[in-house]
Amino acid sequence: MYRAIIIDDEPLARQLIAAFLKAYKDIEIVAECGDGFEGFKTIQEQNPDLIFLDVQMPKLNGFEMLELLDKKPSVIFTTAFDAYAMKAFEAHALDYLLKPISKERFDTAIQKWMRLAANKETPAFDNVQANVYEGYQHRIVVKDNGRIRIIPAQDIHYIEANDDYIKIVTNDGSYLKKSTLSHIEQTLDPQQFIRVHRSYLVPVTQLVRIEPYEKESHIAILQCGAKVLVSKSGMAKLKSTLGW
Amino acid sequence: MRWLLPLLSIVVGVVNMALLYYFAGLEWDFSLIDSIISTLILAICVWGMLLAVNAYPTRVGSILYALIIATFFSVLAGYGTWQALRATLGKNNTLYMHWLSITMFIRYISDWLICGWVATFAAMQKETETLEKRFMNQNDVTNLHREAELYKLRQQLQPHFLYNSLNSISALTMIEPSKAQDMIGKLSDFLRSSVKRDGQEKISLTEELQYIEAYLAIESVRFGDRLKIEFEKNYKPNAEIPPFLLQPVLENAIKFGLYGRIGQVVITVTIMQEDSMLYLTVTNPYDKENQPQRGTGFGLEGIKRRLFLLYARTDLLDVTKDDDYFMTTLKIPQNNV
Repeated sequence: MYRAIIIDDEPLARQLIAAFLKAYKDIEIVAECGDGFEGFKTIQEQNPDLIFLDVQMPKLNGFEMLELLDKKPSVIFTTAFDAYAMKAFEAHALDYLLKPISKERFDTAIQKWMRLAANKETPAFDNVQANVYEGYQHRIVVKDNGRIRIIPAQDIHYIEANDDYIKIVTNDGSYLKKSTLSHIEQTLDPQQFIRVHRSYLVPVTQLVRIEPYEKESHIAILQCGAKVLVSKSGMAKLKSTLGW
Repeated sequence: MRWLLPLLSIVVGVVNMALLYYFAGLEWDFSLIDSIISTLILAICVWGMLLAVNAYPTRVGSILYALIIATFFSVLAGYGTWQALRATLGKNNTLYMHWLSITMFIRYISDWLICGWVATFAAMQKETETLEKRFMNQNDVTNLHREAELYKLRQQLQPHFLYNSLNSISALTMIEPSKAQDMIGKLSDFLRSSVKRDGQEKISLTEELQYIEAYLAIESVRFGDRLKIEFEKNYKPNAEIPPFLLQPVLENAIKFGLYGRIGQVVITVTIMQEDSMLYLTVTNPYDKENQPQRGTGFGLEGIKRRLFLLYARTDLLDVTKDDDYFMTTLKIPQNNV
């Protein structure tokens, strides 16, 4: 018996999936959630085998929710997005159902998943990019003592690489998130955030001045008073982005 | 420009003759023939010079080029005048010849001044024309670009709502078939009015509100009795609005207003007109606890961009909020008051 959770902000959309799933005696719906916050909580409690996840939801979208999960279940995305966005899904080998969801397409996806699940081959994905469908992100979602916290991009002082984690430094303290600096760099607007060093990503609005440091390297002084290292290539990026 | 050269020639000729007669003390017949010959030669040279200036293919340094050409043609004019006068008035007249050789220096100078002035003027004129032409081309390109972007933004607003509605209908066919039929009717009404208005830059507000009603009818099926929309209308009958702007704002308000709440949610739409500005304010309750602090609205960025493209202003979309309410205000300038 497989356990499934449906996450969608529209009740009728959830009911449709539930109705389609009635034909599958091996799959039991253990919960239905109306948003990403509830979904996150319920997944941790229920530990399902499969989730149906709407991408576009208010507050916390499907990708952001997935990012926060340490143990990710199999996911079938449901979305009303267009074919262009779908290419991004395919590039990440994610299974998806386009709304309006057809019974035929639904059955194909479920059967494929059940085949893989029976052989314990369900694909795991890390690094799901939250920006595959709507351009750059203007926020970062983190877990803070078990609670979800949304950090708007403009509140970020800087982001520092810290082994397997990144440290996001803001007005009200710093947060750790399991991710890499390169991944975060890709999701944020490159006109706003500049990778000035292997270990530092800095918003341009935070820069106060840049001083020479050791040979060939510089140090940037930020509005919050912090000083971060700027490498030779970081300096070149700063120059080209800011048009010095 | 056509009449400028003959007119200029006559003026120069008369001035030339007056100078010769009154100041140089030349006999009137000598003055007349001298000035006709020298003015005619100068006019021919200026005409040739203009052809040369206009034929210059590039713009860079055209004024410097014009001055070089002017110098060449003024020397030509001066020398031509010298030769022509020597062959006519100067024939067997040593006194006139002597006088002519003294005045040649002044004649060269005045020819050069006239040629230089005309050539510079022509070169500048040509440069202005080219710039204007380039500017017009640039404008055409910008306009095309703007149109394309507006079209794209309008298109973006439609599909996901349509697909989501169809998905709801699909669910209803299994759960509650009669409601599905009802919703298909409403969706058709909505589509009919969107097709009708597509491509129009502005439509009457009354018409837009009918479209909004069709849209809200669909949303109320999707969200049931929980959704209540209240209108407060206070505008002039000729008020206009670009189509498809209000709907995404409402969609946003509905999504955020309904989220995380039990029971009925009231969303108010206040329409107010003040002189040449129409204000449309959509107010929805929101959940302060879980709401991200700053705007993450689905459609709001697109609306802002559209307003900028239509009115070249960035202050037409306002988002404000207090502890419980989120307010989105659209400002639409009215031209027809």
